[in-house]
Amino acid sequence: MLSSSTSTAAILDASRLPLPLSRPFLFRPGASSACLAERRMRPLTEEETRALFERLSKYIGENIKLLVDRPDGTYCFRLHNERVYYVSEKILKLATSIAREKLVSLGTCFGKFTKSQKFRLHITALDYLAPYAKYKIWVKPGAEQSFLYGNHVLKSGLGRITENTNQYQGVVVYSMSDIPLGFGVAAKSTQECRKLDPMAIVVFHQADIGEYVRHEETLT
Amino acid sequence: MGRKLDASRKEKRGPGRKSRKQKGAEAELAHFLAADVPASKRLCSRSRRRAAKRCQELPTPVDKANADHQELSAPQDKKKDFHQKPITGKKTHEMQHQKASILGFSDENAEWLTLAKRKRLQSEESKEEECPELGYGSEEDSVSDNEHLSLGSGDAEEMVDDYGTSSNSESEQLPIEKAARKLKLLQEKKGSRQGSSSRDDNDDAVASDLALNMDVEEAFVLPSSQAIQEISLHPTDLHVIHQRIRDNVEVLQNFATRREAERTRQEYLTLLRKDLAVYFSYGDYLIEKLMELFPVSELVDFLEANEVQRPMTIRTNTLKTRRRDLAQVLINRGVNLDPLGKWSKTGLVIYDSSVPIGATPEYLAGHYMLQGASSLLPVMALAPQENEKILDMCCAPGGKTSYIAQLMKNTGMILANDANTERLKSVVGNLHRLGVTNTVVSNYDGRQFPKVLGGFDRVLLDAPCSGTGVISKDPMIKTNKVEVDLQRCAHLQKELLLSAIDSVDANSETGGYLVYCTCSITVEENEWVTEYALKKRNVKLVPTGLDFGKEGFTRFRERRFHPSLKLARRFYPHTHNMDGFYVAKFKKFSNMIPKLVKEVDSVLATEPTSLDIPAAVAAPAAKQVKNSKDQGLEVNEQFNGLSPAQHKTGVKCKRKSAMQKRLHRKSTAGKAKKHMYKKFKKGN
Amino acid sequence: MATPGVEELLARAEQEEALSLRQITVHKELDLEYDLGNLLAMDPNPPEASEFRRHGGDYLRALARGNTQLLINQLWQVPSERVEETVVVRLPEANLRLPREKPPPRARPPTRWEQFAKLKGIRKRKKSNIAWDEAQGEWRRRWGYKRANDPTKKWLIEVPATADPNEDQFAKLLQAKKERVAKNELQRLRNIARSQGREPPAPVPPPGAPRSRAQLGKELQVTRRSTASVGRFQALLPREKEPRGVGKKRRFQPLLGDMAAEKQRQLELLGALNRKEPRLDVTRAANKQLREDEQEAARSKKRRGAGRAGTGKKGKGPGGARAGKKGKGPGGIRAGKKGKGRTGKRNKQEH
Repeated sequence: MLSSSTSTAAILDASRLPLPLSRPFLFRPGASSACLAERRMRPLTEEETRALFERLSKYIGENIKLLVDRPDGTYCFRLHNERVYYVSEKILKLATSIAREKLVSLGTCFGKFTKSQKFRLHITALDYLAPYAKYKIWVKPGAEQSFLYGNHVLKSGLGRITENTNQYQGVVVYSMSDIPLGFGVAAKSTQECRKLDPMAIVVFHQADIGEYVRHEETLT
Repeated sequence: MGRKLDASRKEKRGPGRKSRKQKGAEAELAHFLAADVPASKRLCSRSRRRAAKRCQELPTPVDKANADHQELSAPQDKKKDFHQKPITGKKTHEMQHQKASILGFSDENAEWLTLAKRKRLQSEESKEEECPELGYGSEEDSVSDNEHLSLGSGDAEEMVDDYGTSSNSESEQLPIEKAARKLKLLQEKKGSRQGSSSRDDNDDAVASDLALNMDVEEAFVLPSSQAIQEISLHPTDLHVIHQRIRDNVEVLQNFATRREAERTRQEYLTLLRKDLAVYFSYGDYLIEKLMELFPVSELVDFLEANEVQRPMTIRTNTLKTRRRDLAQVLINRGVNLDPLGKWSKTGLVIYDSSVPIGATPEYLAGHYMLQGASSLLPVMALAPQENEKILDMCCAPGGKTSYIAQLMKNTGMILANDANTERLKSVVGNLHRLGVTNTVVSNYDGRQFPKVLGGFDRVLLDAPCSGTGVISKDPMIKTNKVEVDLQRCAHLQKELLLSAIDSVDANSETGGYLVYCTCSITVEENEWVTEYALKKRNVKLVPTGLDFGKEGFTRFRERRFHPSLKLARRFYPHTHNMDGFYVAKFKKFSNMIPKLVKEVDSVLATEPTSLDIPAAVAAPAAKQVKNSKDQGLEVNEQFNGLSPAQHKTGVKCKRKSAMQKRLHRKSTAGKAKKHMYKKFKKGN
Repeated sequence: MATPGVEELLARAEQEEALSLRQITVHKELDLEYDLGNLLAMDPNPPEASEFRRHGGDYLRALARGNTQLLINQLWQVPSERVEETVVVRLPEANLRLPREKPPPRARPPTRWEQFAKLKGIRKRKKSNIAWDEAQGEWRRRWGYKRANDPTKKWLIEVPATADPNEDQFAKLLQAKKERVAKNELQRLRNIARSQGREPPAPVPPPGAPRSRAQLGKELQVTRRSTASVGRFQALLPREKEPRGVGKKRRFQPLLGDMAAEKQRQLELLGALNRKEPRLDVTRAANKQLREDEQEAARSKKRRGAGRAGTGKKGKGPGGARAGKKGKGPGGIRAGKKGKGRTGKRNKQEH
């Protein structure tokens, strides 16, 4: 209709064509197709892998390589229900027999992608973060409880900290008996920590194992 | 009320197996506690006053006097009577010995289950001992004034007094007590003089003394049936009821000598049932079921055991730590614990704890799992091997699944399935917490299973059940179970078991096993279901590998089960001090699904002479055909082969044929086939 | 067999006639009301309940037959004619008005102009259809073919004083006409769209008017697709994002694909992530350079005492730089929100 008239094209800037009737075709709602795609278990796209690795590397640095390239079998990351599962190939094959809506979990859940496609690490990833963590922090027994209730780590509860931890570096929080309790972000560098007042925050809380009890419903 | 609920007992905290049920139990406990404790105290003091009064007064009725006399020895006597069963494990008359023995554990368990510290032992003792002793001793206190009995006592404080401080203060003792003490001293003296060799002699002497007392004792008079009805309409004091139960049980145990001449055993049993139902607040149906299941004395033990919580147990997660390390850490946190037993390398019993066991950093870090001792058993029976493919059909809340994973050292594959989405959340949480990585969690109805995925090396089926083994966790079960529930459960269990069997790969090199377990103790949900599976599939029972526990029933009332059912294991709260449980281990020897046709064929072939038998079989079998789809036309043809008249006769003269069948059975007793017909009839 | 007698024959004929008459005459207590235009007869006689009870459906059937017979009889009263060997009746006008089968058509929703005119109270003034044509000296149609004073038929057009003398005024007229037609068509379509309940497309802003970000994005998207190949061969600009929601399905790797390749890809990605040397960010570098130049210029101006220039632009630099970071965009924004990481990142970038 419109395109038949050449002069129209001359008058109206092509960029501003209102296209009243063809609009539904052109502006097909992308959301629906995206939703359908999300629900199926699948490997991560490159963007997602990048988001995941960037987040992981905050805590374990280059050690991600050890997760990707394991000597004891093929392990991979899979996206299911917007959650990232780290799972061995064998178990993945078993899981493929299970209908999508009936599959609840497989392997280890690392975290989830938010609606805005950001990756959020869950406490369930701690089993893989703790052994490879580059920067660690140990909290005193008295402060364990507080951290396990979801509070930040204060200077008064700080037992030890890895040398030359930078500010805003991802750290894994340990109890003094070397039990990994969770992870967070260093609020101050190691140097700054030395001369802080006792009530100052040393580590911003991100996740702790208390969530197994507190947030069991939303854990994975 | 004379409930065996203890105010001093701590409520259990934190999630554990069937935590929902536990919570229910706690609520129930609290409910009881609020009303009970002061009442019982008040009663005690009043009765004490009454007793003092009566002592002063002239003892007019003979029975009162008798009762007083009897007090010397009666408790010990009773103990002897009631605890021949291994509830205490020690048949000693001395108080000290009784103290040392741990109640609620079987003999073999008692050996290893020694308590950690001497001091705690006593307090523990006072708690533990209530269970049996209160049951038999406590009602005397208020009813017939013998609360002074060292054995029976209204509440824990008094017990402590008896055992501890006040035992020395003679001034506080009543004459009866003094007499008892004297007698005991005498015994001890005698014992020391004569040495251990004359122990039996000594016992005999005591026994004769007891017998003497018993003769003097007034016989238990069964109320008339009218009175019974009235009683049931207007429930009286619980103490009265308990006294009656006690007496009734005594009579029933040597019925020949103690009965009233013209009263039948049935009447006694009816009264007992009613009393038990009122006293322990059970529903009529369930108490009836339990009476079928246990002999009278054991029944009371069982009911008593259901009133107290089982000790809290935890399982070390060997994926993350070792038991020794864990025990050390927990002890440092002020937890009092012991190894669970010789049979478990990972279990720990928690006696008491200054911290909530379900919220320690170790718990959160997945170093252990709160798990009942009984739920370790099916996994041990399953004996999963590394690199196997295993299905846990009803996995919530994931305790058994994680134990399987732990035994497999996180190798192989586990499919953890449960039908309930909500409960799966805790499964996922627990598995992640415990660091289990070889598991896929799915949300199917278990009955869909061979279709979804099959060929597993081993399958664990912890079937949903009526929960009659975990009454202590969920007292609601006492009243809310009716026959339909049991039937429904049993039906579901049969379906699940068949699909579980179908999911097993019989040709598996390492496996081909299936473990069926329930936390119920009824025969309908256990032996019947097992028998049904044996009949329907190519499976056989194999030893569970558990060296304790009671054997499964091979005969129950009028039912006869396959002899191999004695390989199954039953666990009871009062004998093993764990939740009531049933474990059966199957080995699948062929992937073929046998056709029922063959059975019917063989039936007809083996009993060609008896006219009634095929007819009697025909009726239920026809029903069977209707139910099962896998039966082909052949079956119908089979029945078409029978003349209609025969068929009709069979249906019509059911009673007659049943009678003849009974005769026939007598002639060829012990034939499995015959039981099968009966099961056919009953089961369908 | 004896031949029947005449009387007999007559009697039989009479009988037959009576029978046939009986078949066409129906007795009724009250006459029917007829509406021949609708071929309708209405029977005011109450039905006989006793008869109905005795005969049921047969009675009803007989009643219907009788009444139909009466209607047919009535039709025969109307003058009939014979057309092609067929007897035809012209029915009179119907008396009874029957309800219509279909709902009445909905009124056409008013066009945009009609709405506007109603709002403004503009009433259409009827002009006569013919107008006087000076040139021809006769009355002609006002519009259409051979209309009066047809501007397209002018043989001479005066070039306006302001116009380009070389402009073809005839072509201009023709063009203007075509544009009017196109505009009309457009408005017609918009009216249709509005009448169908669809939101009419937004009015086209005049060129150069300020637009919102979303509007611009949409326009850009439409422009991309407004090519002969529906935008298929339209290249993306260097930093441009793939437009979203264009109905293009995302393709994912297979669930159980080549695991080794997947691992390889991830390792490569890791390598890229972990590379320590900073990547050259052209946009950022250019922005930085520009900013420095500006600052330099400002400084030199100041030195010369020529006032202050270029300071206002300072704020735009970092924004541009951040927007230009590819791949780090989301991370940077998130980090910024939480108040961490941003400085670190910048340091990393710059060292």
